[in-house]
Amino acid sequence: MPKEYDTFVDDLSTLPEGKELILAIRDLAPGNRKYDTRVVKAILASSANKLPEGDILWLRYQRGSLRPEPWRIKIIDEREGLLLKEKVYDT
Amino acid sequence: MPFRDNREYIEALEKAGEVVRVAQEVDWDLEAGAIIRRSYELKLPAPFFQKIKGYPKGFRMFGGPLANFRRLAIAMDMPADSHPGAILDEYHKRAQHPIKPVIVKDGPCKENVRIGDQVDLYELPAPMVHDGDGGRYISTWHFVLTKDMDSDWVNWGMYRQMIHNSRDMGGLFLPTQDIGVMYYRKYEANNIPMPFATAIGPDPISALASCASYGVGRNEADLAGGIRRAPVELIKCETSDILVPAHAEIIIEGEVLPYKRVDEGPFGEYTGYRSSPRMPRPVYRVKAITFRNDPILTVANMGVPLDDADICLSVCGRTDIKTILDNYGFPITGIHLPPECSGHMIVVAVQAKYTNIASHIANAIWGTKLPYPYIVVVDSDVDPYNITEVLHAIVTKCHPVRGIRAQEFAVGHPLLPFLSLEERMWGKGAAVLLDCTWPLDWPKEIAIPRKASFKEIYPKEIQEKVLNNWKNYGYK
Ligand SMILES: Cc1cc2nc3c(=O)[nH]c(=O)nc-3n(C[C@H](O)[C@H](O)[C@H](O)COP(=O)(O)O)c2cc1C
Repeated sequence: MPKEYDTFVDDLSTLPEGKELILAIRDLAPGNRKYDTRVVKAILASSANKLPEGDILWLRYQRGSLRPEPWRIKIIDEREGLLLKEKVYDT
Repeated sequence: MPFRDNREYIEALEKAGEVVRVAQEVDWDLEAGAIIRRSYELKLPAPFFQKIKGYPKGFRMFGGPLANFRRLAIAMDMPADSHPGAILDEYHKRAQHPIKPVIVKDGPCKENVRIGDQVDLYELPAPMVHDGDGGRYISTWHFVLTKDMDSDWVNWGMYRQMIHNSRDMGGLFLPTQDIGVMYYRKYEANNIPMPFATAIGPDPISALASCASYGVGRNEADLAGGIRRAPVELIKCETSDILVPAHAEIIIEGEVLPYKRVDEGPFGEYTGYRSSPRMPRPVYRVKAITFRNDPILTVANMGVPLDDADICLSVCGRTDIKTILDNYGFPITGIHLPPECSGHMIVVAVQAKYTNIASHIANAIWGTKLPYPYIVVVDSDVDPYNITEVLHAIVTKCHPVRGIRAQEFAVGHPLLPFLSLEERMWGKGAAVLLDCTWPLDWPKEIAIPRKASFKEIYPKEIQEKVLNNWKNYGYK
């Protein structure tokens, strides 16, 4: 059974397929740690046949709605801590 | 007698028929949230979940602690069916007499202590409140305590907290909120971590008081004491000098590191929408968690009105604004933030004593830190608590051009649904005054329309006759 994760994205061009990326994903494995944020180095693909050995990666828009078709993700390794972002505005 | 804690309060609510004990196991993942939300929308009692899926027996959840005026009256130790106006006036009166907290050595919030490596936020049944939220929001009915960097000021504010992982949480710090003032302008500006503590499930009045814009340098603990008419009992944190409510269900301690930002949100918010962008926001690093035996995690599930946020904003916002307007001596006969309007509309009833008094009032309100987008000023014959009368005044007395004064460059924030995404990000707000007062230069008997209500369009003698004969006509 493939594992399931999700991530938040509006602009798909920020998730180039087939390249190693660092991204934050939420672990959707059922149980008390569901939705735990993990920071991973991974390769993504927009469909199962491009990454048959990949796990499932659901994509949500930044306002939370789910995109209908999941992508695939192959996790290469995992990073400690959180994915730090540039401070943009004070909100 | 004020409620010492959340548990005594739940007991009183239960006696008044305001609680349903849910014995069946519920899932923290959306199911509990959906039940709480439906209970608001159908105006039903608050759900008290006895068994949470995957969590030990005894770990409970309580939703909708202050979701209507009845619960507020009970929390204030007033008759449950008091008129909202009476409750709001009583709150305002008590707010004028703050009472300082007392420090205690022992308290139930220390019954279980987790420090350092023992800390695991997933030990507690934090709910996934709405589908599509950015994470599990552990703190929705709580407050965050922070101590000023260079004074004795301790702020309490209800600011949401989302779990990132077992040791980190994210939150929204608006720059105009007191936590924003302390963090951005002081701790972060000096590159110093800001210690914090979060009290989840405090006594109901402390939670309410934390939603007040009490002011820079003023402690909401004193306000809570005043409203309770008895001091709040505080106890020292395990890892800092911050004093927390000794009877809270759960205390989370830690620090907010400077210049660390991680994506937080989205979240179903007080406006009734998931509207603020998921954005890089400050991170709460957790160093300790303490909690009562059989902890009760309190949950406010914000969304369309009425819910706990609507009541809190209505109560606290009214006193914040009334205090300011009274200080200026405005001839105000009533003021209300209808909870149906998500804290976005203030209705002020006034004896219009001079031309453009409505603009004067609106400018005074816009000068405060919270951006109220809709201000409605009505004549004193309109009851601000009666939303039908208010709507009627808007559509009959507010001139569609001259009566509307738009404020284009107002302070906004990312949660305002009517702003574009770009405006939300930059806090580029807008506001409007709806002036529903008759112009003073309209001659009274010649130009001002006569209101066609029983009270106003019939002579006194006829009114008396009708009232005296009311039962004789066949009415009860
Ligand atoms: C349930 C609930 C959740 C809230 N969440 C936030 C929040 O995440 N961020 C925020 O700035 N204000 C939030 N507020 C509003 C603040 O609590 C309120 O504006 C309060 O006055 C802030 O305190 P301060 O004036 O000491 O900054 C929330 C209010 C309620 C009732």
